[in-house]
Amino acid sequence: MLNVIIVDDELLARENLRCLLENDSQINIVAECNNAMDAIREIHRLAPDVVFLDIQMPKINGLEMLSMLDPQTMPHIVFLTAYSEFAVKAFEEQAFDYLLKPIEQDRLNKTLSRLHKKCPVADINQLSGIDQQLKYIPCIGHNRIYLLSNDDVFYISSKVSGIYVFNQNNNEYFTELTLKTLEDKTSLIRCHRQYLVNLKKLKEIRFNEAGSVDIILNNDVAVPVSRRYLKSLKEILGL
Amino acid sequence: MFEFDLVLQLLQQMCVYLVIAYLLSKTPIVIPLMQVTIHLPHKLVCYFIFSLFCIMGSYFGLHIEDTIANTRAIGAILGGLLGGPVVGLLVGLTGGIHRYTLGGITAESCMLSTILTGLISGLLHYTLMKKGRIDLVYNPFLVGVLGVLVESLEMIQVLLISRPFDVVLHAVRSIAAPMIVANSIGAAMFMRILLDRRAIFERYTSAFSAKALKIAVSTEGLLREGFNQENSTKVAEIIYQELDIGAVSITDREKILAFIGVGDDHHLPGTKITSNVTLEAIEQNDVKYLDGTHQPYQCSINKNCRLGATLVIPLRGENNNVVGTIKLYEAKNTLFSSINRTLGEGIASLLSAQILAGQNEYYKQLLSKTEIKLLHAQVNPHFLFNALNTLLAIIRRDKEQASQLVQNLSTFFRKNLKRTDEIVTLKDEIEHVNAYLQIEKMRFMEQLSINFDIPEQLEYAQLPAFSLQPIVENAIKHGTSQLISQGEVTIRAYANDQTLILEVIDNAGNYRENKKDNKGLGLNLVDKRIKIRYGENYGIKIICKPDEYTNVMLSLPLLEDVVV
Repeated sequence: MLNVIIVDDELLARENLRCLLENDSQINIVAECNNAMDAIREIHRLAPDVVFLDIQMPKINGLEMLSMLDPQTMPHIVFLTAYSEFAVKAFEEQAFDYLLKPIEQDRLNKTLSRLHKKCPVADINQLSGIDQQLKYIPCIGHNRIYLLSNDDVFYISSKVSGIYVFNQNNNEYFTELTLKTLEDKTSLIRCHRQYLVNLKKLKEIRFNEAGSVDIILNNDVAVPVSRRYLKSLKEILGL
Repeated sequence: MFEFDLVLQLLQQMCVYLVIAYLLSKTPIVIPLMQVTIHLPHKLVCYFIFSLFCIMGSYFGLHIEDTIANTRAIGAILGGLLGGPVVGLLVGLTGGIHRYTLGGITAESCMLSTILTGLISGLLHYTLMKKGRIDLVYNPFLVGVLGVLVESLEMIQVLLISRPFDVVLHAVRSIAAPMIVANSIGAAMFMRILLDRRAIFERYTSAFSAKALKIAVSTEGLLREGFNQENSTKVAEIIYQELDIGAVSITDREKILAFIGVGDDHHLPGTKITSNVTLEAIEQNDVKYLDGTHQPYQCSINKNCRLGATLVIPLRGENNNVVGTIKLYEAKNTLFSSINRTLGEGIASLLSAQILAGQNEYYKQLLSKTEIKLLHAQVNPHFLFNALNTLLAIIRRDKEQASQLVQNLSTFFRKNLKRTDEIVTLKDEIEHVNAYLQIEKMRFMEQLSINFDIPEQLEYAQLPAFSLQPIVENAIKHGTSQLISQGEVTIRAYANDQTLILEVIDNAGNYRENKKDNKGLGLNLVDKRIKIRYGENYGIKIICKPDEYTNVMLSLPLLEDVVV
């Protein structure tokens, strides 16, 4: 049994794929998403085996989305595209699976049989066009996706309700990306189990009387530094 | 031999007359006389000159026995012969009336005969012209014969009209021979002078034309290949050799493209124009002439430059706009020949025509290139396969809708197959756009809403096919399809004075001017195409408020299809 998520911004395209997948009793569609942000959330939440991923999507395309996924829960990816010479060639070279829309049943069956044989997950980072570093952090706002540039981020905090990115004005933006992904794929530095901080915005490190340590940022916001990360932080700063 | 003396005296007078005629022939006044003309100003010149000769003829005449031996007839003969019946009659009248005021027993008869002389010569002109024998008009021999005839006629007339007969007869006896001889020879020689003058003039013009032609032939097409340093140098070289002039320079609006001749050590091609007179010529789109005597020319680059006179003529390209100049120079103490001056202007217009032809060719090429590119851009494979994928789903869901989608697809492709240089009505273009949008609407469903606001009276406005479609496609592809929330595309048309304005507004606000990807490619092509066809005042203007809206405004001249 394979748990599958379909990611495509077009409802009818998802429907087409769903109809074809329903012919295989070993496939269980656990979610359908129409944009990358929803997809990241659902992938993190449901940890599916396979994601059928459309490349052409608004704001964050399929390739960009991959680099935002937590590497630890990386599912097997099958790309979907209507027409893209470049992408198709890249996939072929890297032995990634891809399907051309409209999808042929026979072609899909080949993909499915391979998936049932539990092929090893190909390394996403090998795929050209996938950045090791994020250019921006996608955040969800009111009916919108904000793409915050790394330089605009002051710190990131993990709360019970999720991960939040803070900017100059200390406004918080919710993001679906995990703290681990953000730590790995950005220049932000871990200073606490629940915090990442942008050292370019660092103003001072304050050692409090009670023994606790805070980082004071340019906008005078204090970010706690835990004992565990203080040492590595000092090393980075050359103290 | 009293009579013989009179002949000599009258011939002497005639000589004075011919000297004046000769001197006159050196002036440009006689140019109209050298050709048979129908222009009124030329006729007037003819009238004035020969009336003057008539009057002079009477005035310098010898008073003999209450009558005047004169050479008045020369003026009347030539006036009539060269100017035609009307001029002849007028010259005769003027000369005759003048003669009448001088008095004497033959006053009336002389007046009449002068009028008659003018008229007869005029009628002869008329007859010869009708027979197409213009050459005979200028034949000195014929003029001489005419002189003998009209003078004999005058004598007979005097005898018939003037009284008392015996006095008149005596006078006629003494003046008849001298007057007939002097007037006929005088008129013939006058014509000879004119002929000589014409020959010189023709030699001059033929030399001039030969030079002009040679330059025209050897520079042919050079600048059509492009108005640049290389081609300009070739042209300057030719002009420099043919005109035998101090120096020749060709500039564009900013810099010297070519310079050949005196001073080429410091007038360097590629350097900026510093000469005020050149800048003025460019600025004012006017010929500037510093002849070196009245208006001195001083080189703006080097004080010791030997050039002392310059003629700057603007080269004009599209819409008569100045694209550069051609400059002719003479060294100090060398006269600027008027041939070179006139030739210079001729060459300039020749080169201008070449540049213009070159520009037109370039634009034509550009246009066809754009058309081809547009043609390639027409069917976006993404669109096609996504549409087919949509169709697949719709067939499963709703047969009715599926057939509609197929209809829209066929409309879209049919319109796509049209040639790109075709002019269509707005209604036609909207149908194309609508087919496209309906397909996209089925694909994106509730995620996309479409509004049209096209006034009925504009439905037959004309525009090049594919002007609106790429803009709308852009609004979807790079606009609304990048939105997580609902997308909205509005297409509006309105007329502003004589301009048709089409607006495509999306609610994405994604347009960024400096983005290096080719998002704007389709728009650029449409813009270029409209500008080439209708001029710089038309084309695309984009207003974008990031994350709120992008408004692409296309303006075109409002042209209505006459066949409604």
